[in-house]
Amino acid sequence: LTFGDLFRQLSLLAALPAALAAGFLAAVIVVVRDWRAVLLAYGLFSALISLLLAQVIPTEWALLQAITGGLVAVMLFLSARQLRVGPAPGADRALPAGLRRAIAWPRLASLPAFRLMALAVTVVVYLSVQDAITLPIVSPLFNDLILWLGLIGFLGLALHEEPLHAGLSLMVVIASAELLVFSLTQQRMVVGLAMAGQLILGLDISYLALSHGLALPPLREEDG
Amino acid sequence: VISGPALLLGALGVGVLAVYVLRRFEALAALVAAGLALVLGVALWRIPLDRLAVVGSRPVTMGQPLAWNEMTLQITPASRAVLVFLLGMSAAAFILAWRGYQGRTFYPFGLAMVALWSVSAMLLPLALAPLGIALAAALAVFVIQAGRPGEVHGAWRQLLFPTLAVPLFLIAAWSIEQGPLNPDDQTPYRVAGWLLVVGFVLLLQPAPLHVAVPAVARQAPPVVAVFLWLGGQATVIFLLQRFLVAYPWLGESLDSASWLLWLGVLTILIGGMLAATQERLGGLVGYAGLYDYGVLLVALGLRSTAGLPTAVWLLLTRTVALLTIAEGAALIRHHMESDRFHQLEGAAGRLPWAVAALVIGGFGLAGMPLTAQFASRWSLLQLLAENDLRWSLLMLAGAGGVLIGVIRAARATFGPLEGSPVEREPALTSILVMGLIAVSIALGMAPQLLTGPVAAVILPLSTFGP
Repeated sequence: LTFGDLFRQLSLLAALPAALAAGFLAAVIVVVRDWRAVLLAYGLFSALISLLLAQVIPTEWALLQAITGGLVAVMLFLSARQLRVGPAPGADRALPAGLRRAIAWPRLASLPAFRLMALAVTVVVYLSVQDAITLPIVSPLFNDLILWLGLIGFLGLALHEEPLHAGLSLMVVIASAELLVFSLTQQRMVVGLAMAGQLILGLDISYLALSHGLALPPLREEDG
Repeated sequence: VISGPALLLGALGVGVLAVYVLRRFEALAALVAAGLALVLGVALWRIPLDRLAVVGSRPVTMGQPLAWNEMTLQITPASRAVLVFLLGMSAAAFILAWRGYQGRTFYPFGLAMVALWSVSAMLLPLALAPLGIALAAALAVFVIQAGRPGEVHGAWRQLLFPTLAVPLFLIAAWSIEQGPLNPDDQTPYRVAGWLLVVGFVLLLQPAPLHVAVPAVARQAPPVVAVFLWLGGQATVIFLLQRFLVAYPWLGESLDSASWLLWLGVLTILIGGMLAATQERLGGLVGYAGLYDYGVLLVALGLRSTAGLPTAVWLLLTRTVALLTIAEGAALIRHHMESDRFHQLEGAAGRLPWAVAALVIGGFGLAGMPLTAQFASRWSLLQLLAENDLRWSLLMLAGAGGVLIGVIRAARATFGPLEGSPVEREPALTSILVMGLIAVSIALGMAPQLLTGPVAAVILPLSTFGP
């Protein structure tokens, strides 16, 4: 039994839990603010997508997704580490802990309650359209996962203007598209180009997260 | 025998590395980048595609395909026209960027983007071609941001839509492959058609998906922004033409002409209206460019025998107009240390040629007489009026908006200089700007100068395969 066979069998056995976990982690990426939690969720999400992809493309190709996702997570981690202190480290120390947390990077445009409410609305939309949308060739489990990831990814793109969260939401949309495209067509070239594209996208997101985070607007008087 | 694509991409690859190494010597980097682009452009235009040529003691056949796995790159008569346009436009942009203080990373990244757009123009299978455009957008992030911390809207929006478009083309390609399996069922073609329409709308980014254009215009250096629009939009439009030639059913079943026309008219209206209300040069260049892009889409949407030649003509003249206004805006922004209208007072006295470029370029985008765009716009207005007079009136209304915006910007530059002294334009920069203005006026007075290049492009574009 080779590692490839083992991975593929695991993929078949653990398909439902892996799909459920991937769907949950995608929601974490979109809703949670803490960058460490988001990056951890993205790393795990990539590994699970890789596991699921092993059902439709050769294991060696599917593992590229885990490697790519891991590299992107590392790139983002290195960028995030430079920004984690916030815009004015010295000044922040004097502020109350709650306020310090509120002004630290990443600053999101919405409150957690709003994001949770948007997530709840997305769940309702998903449940209402789930039966109506049937993708060709794709298994029912993949059908549901592709739909959910697409919805949650677009929700993230709509909610966030902060590059880390918006970028990872775009990655979730791409993962959804990968599940569909690789189910339909299995071409080595397309897989390779998709993974290379994700790496470049990861580099872009890291760069934009740094550019955005390094110039956070100063704390307004009324905030203090 | 070396194939044309290998020569082109190899030279561009070496050029990217060389220019990256030389980027600290900006003048040298700009000259090397522009020289390379110009030499490649002239070589592509002059060397016949089907004959053996000798380049540096090595035999080359420009039309020979370069195959790698499931992909093939080939320079066809149609793609040659686009490649020459991309290389010529980029050569001009590199020189103008050097004199317009646009940032030294632009030269290597610009060459790399030209290479990716070229790949997109030469690549088969067609479904993979949008990937080149998406990768170019990914590189564009770095030149738009140009190392400045702060707003990232422009770079992000430039990246987002092409990335979202790529999977749609891959799924459409699969759907097209399913068509012949059941000839009686037209569903795969219908599905593919709609996917391609959505994919192209994401790539073309007309209004209301135009959000990247003003954001890039505000954020990126003006010449860089114009380079991105000219190169990206020309590549996408050529790709659309390739799809329409390769899949004739696409144009017939989905009435592509109609949706291009409507999206073009909407883009014209939004671009024109918002150009009139801008308070910054960046925003003015962005919305004036958007209006002009809408005009190009309308010309493409006509798809009559005269529609395509007019579109090609517009593509060439808008290049002159956009580069002229961008150079003017770049110089004013650099010397006045701001592009807000209320901070430009006195610019006309210190930077007369930059202001002249801004006005002539702006008038060109509005399609005023004696500018490069006038004849092509006039011909499009007549074509439109033959279909529906209201469209012509809407186009004129949009032009009015651009004109108001340009006049407001020009007015803001008059008056006495306030604040710190402003350095005058360097002589070489003035000469370059004079050259741009002269070309613009010459094309306005003698539009027949472009008849040859337009005629040379039309036949391959409309009849040859993808």
